[in-house]
This record gives sequence, C-alpha cells and structure tokens, in this order.
Amino acid sequence: MARYGMVMNVHACLGCRACMAACSQWNQTPFWAEDFKGKWRTRVTEIEEGKFPEVKRYFFPTICMHCENPPCASVCPTEATYINKDGIVLIDYDLCLGCGYCIEACPYDARYEYELEDLKKDEFYFGEDARHHQAHVDKCTFCVDRLEEGLEPSCAATCVGHARIFGDLDDPNSEVAKLVNTGKAKPLGPYMGTKPKVYYIK
Amino acid sequence: MDLVQQQIWGWNIATYLFFGGLGGATLALGILAELRFNLNKWFGILVSLLGLAILSFGLIWLVIDLINPLRFLLAFWIAGLGHSWIARGMVVIMGSYIFGILYAIAAYYGSTTFKKWMGYIAMFCGFGVTTYTGLLLNANVAIPFWHTPALPLLFTVSALSTGCALLMLILAAMKSHEAEHYFHFVEGFDILLISLELLIIFAYLDFARLGNAAVMKSAHLLLNNPLFTIGFLVLGLITPLILEAFASVKHSAKGLAGVASVLVLIGGFLLRYLITWAGVFQYPHGIAS
Ligand code: SF4
Ligand code: SF4
Repeated sequence: MARYGMVMNVHACLGCRACMAACSQWNQTPFWAEDFKGKWRTRVTEIEEGKFPEVKRYFFPTICMHCENPPCASVCPTEATYINKDGIVLIDYDLCLGCGYCIEACPYDARYEYELEDLKKDEFYFGEDARHHQAHVDKCTFCVDRLEEGLEPSCAATCVGHARIFGDLDDPNSEVAKLVNTGKAKPLGPYMGTKPKVYYIK
Repeated sequence: MDLVQQQIWGWNIATYLFFGGLGGATLALGILAELRFNLNKWFGILVSLLGLAILSFGLIWLVIDLINPLRFLLAFWIAGLGHSWIARGMVVIMGSYIFGILYAIAAYYGSTTFKKWMGYIAMFCGFGVTTYTGLLLNANVAIPFWHTPALPLLFTVSALSTGCALLMLILAAMKSHEAEHYFHFVEGFDILLISLELLIIFAYLDFARLGNAAVMKSAHLLLNNPLFTIGFLVLGLITPLILEAFASVKHSAKGLAGVASVLVLIGGFLLRYLITWAGVFQYPHGIAS
C-alpha cells in the first residue's frame, strides 16, 4: 500500500512535450486525433502572461490529479471509476458505460472519450499489441502497469528537466513527500475539496 | 483560472432531461387524476402509459449519447447507487415502469387497494424522475452554475409544469364533468408552478450576478441569448402565465389554455437545453484548453 503522487516543478519544464509523446506511445492514447488538444492523458500547455514588454512565458504540465475525494468516481453509475489500493484513480473499461458523466464532473479536465474510431486507429497502429478493446472514457493511470514492474510512470521517466517527480507521499523520505510536506509544492484548486495528489511548484 | 463552456452534453442530454421530466410528471398527474379526481380507469391507464412512453422516448436519447450505444445494458449495473445520480435515476425510472405498469394492470382489473398502493408508489417514482433530472446536473462540482440546489428545484417545478401543460391539452379535448373539474385544478396548479418557476429563475440569476466567475459567465451566456430571454422567459414562461391566468377567469377559454400549454412545453425544452449549454467549467489550472 502506497499513496502515490506527483510533483510538477513548473520552473523546470522546458516545454519539449517528450512526456506527451512517451505517454501516448506507452498507453496508446489518440495521438492520431484531429483535435490535438483534447485526447491526451497528459498535456503541456504554453502560457503567456502579462502584456508586452513584461511578458512571462512558461509551460504548464497537467494530468489526472488522482484526487482522494474524486468527483469523477462519485458520479460514476457503475463504479467503473475506482480508487485502487495505492490511491490511484482508475477506470475499469469493462464496466464503463460511456456516459461521460465523469468528464463533466472532473474539475481538472483530465478525462476524454476513447471512441470507436480511436479503437480502429489503435488497432491500425499497434496491431496485436493494441491495448484498447472497447469504447470507454480514458485518463491517466500513473502507468499502473509500469509501477507493477518497478518502473516509474512513463512521463516522469522521460522528463528531461526533472519537472515531474513521482513517488510515495506516505514515505517521508521520498522527494515528493519532502516537497509536499515542506509546503513547497501545492495542489491546484484545493478549495474544491477534491484533495488532489498532484502538486505544483509554481 | 479558466472558464470553459462544457461541450460534452448537448442536445441529446437536454432532450433526455426534458422528456424524462415530462414523462415522470405525466405519469404522476395521470394517476392522480384517476385516484383523486374521479376520472375513469381508462384515463388513468392511458395517461400513465403515455407518461411511460414519453419517458422511454427520452431514454433513447441518453443511449444515443453513450460513447458506444450498444453498451447501454451496463446502465443496469448500478453498483454506484450509493453515490451516483445516473445509478439512482435508473432505480427511480425502473420503479416508474414497474409500479406504473402494475398500477395500470390493477386499474384494468379493478382491484382497488392494490391499485392505490401501486398508484401512489408510481406517482412517487414519477415525481422522483422529475427531481432526478436536476440532481444529475447538480452533482457536477466542476460546473458551478449547475452545482446549486436551485437547479433540481427549478427542473422539478418546470417538469411538473410541462406535465400540467400536456394534461391540459388532453383534458381540453374531453367532454366529461370530471375532466372539466380536473382541467381547472391542473390549470390552477400550473399557474402556481409557473409563478414559482419565475421566482426560482429570479433567485438563480441574482445569485449569478453576485459572483463566482464561472457562474457569472453562465448567466451572461444565458442573458445574451435570445433563445433564453425571448424564447424561454417571455414566450415560455411569462406569456403562458398571463394566458392561463386569463383563461382561468374566463371559464370557457380552453383554447387559450391550449396555446399556453404548447408554449410551456416549448419553454420547458428550451430551459433544459439552455441550462445544459450554459454550463461553464472553472478549471483551476490557469490554462485555457
Ligand atoms: S483529476 Fe479528475 S479524473 Fe482525476 S481523480 Fe480528480 S476528478 Fe477524477
Ligand atoms: S463514462 Fe464510464 S467511467 Fe465515466 S461515469 Fe460513465 S461509466 Fe463511469
């Protein structure tokens, strides 16, 4: 039993989007989708703040926050969305009705529809290794399959700038726990009561 | 902070919400007519079955909206009953079917006590469906305009009002003394409902005026959309209120009440669509996707 979480160091993110590529390859998410913004488990968004000449530009990585009080799970009619023993919010594709209720309920824009045409594309690109076999709602799993093999989530493993720090929040010696416990890293939108387990250094 | 208008739910879900609420209200009002207002058994049977047919028509739109409509059977897997309004909704909808049909059978065979029991439970389920359509949207914390107890209240009152409108249309075509009596009851009830609806809308928009950025944006979207201001508020709410009030004074003005009913039905549909359309996410990222 762990309580996995991630810290995003926004200052360290170069905006190379290697994480997006790694994630979409490992998890076979719709990198082929026309809507380039929509169907990703993780996104890196370029942000410009302020007005010329005082413009600040940075890159902002987002994923599912693996909330401890996840609205997505509480609206799910079939309990397809559940929290596993390590605090990871997952979807059982076999149970997912595809109602989209969770997409509406998630306050972090972390979910999208894996549609019938995406299944076809998945099979086209990955053939026998295709991992998606029915239409469902999709989102980040912290690469739960990699964790079982002792690997880090593919985004954190790929990250060039060490902007994504993954670990067990319950282990006081882990880098994530230290950053969170010292208050250096803070969650997004804590006022919503969702108790996210992804934290940000901004 | 990002304010993003939701795109996931559109016409399909709005249609479902409308016909679900209308079906539930029709079922309940039809049974009420037979149990309490001496309308004959065929009225009770046919109107309650009409309510269930409308509800079924609504459900089709929910199924169409699924990512893969062929997987709709999973909707019966209501493991999330303890927390999810889709699962709970399935239970009240199933309850409406089961008890509505049992009521109709009992009414047909004239078994009075059993009919009453089944009738009252079916009415309860029918009312439950009207409220549930609002609670469904209400559960979305990410969309502050929906996440308010005013929404289930508004949808309940509006659904009952559309049910009254449909019943008035049916009753206006009937000749019996009982039908006349029930017509006037429903008409009076609808006047009350529309007045309440206006009050709730007013409170709702006032709440929006006072803030939370996303709620303000939703209200702004609505108030700048003629479908809302003219279509719903003026033609779907205020006009029928005046027409019905007028018709209730002039006792023979069933035509007027008929026109009002059609307007109420259109207004009810517009309301579902517009509230769904005006849902605005308030993402805490600081990025607009
Ligand atoms: S970020 Fe969204 S999808 Fe992820 S656990 Fe929280 S509510 Fe659910
Ligand atoms: S789309 Fe799937 S995971 Fe989401 S609420 Fe519906 S059944 Fe649950």
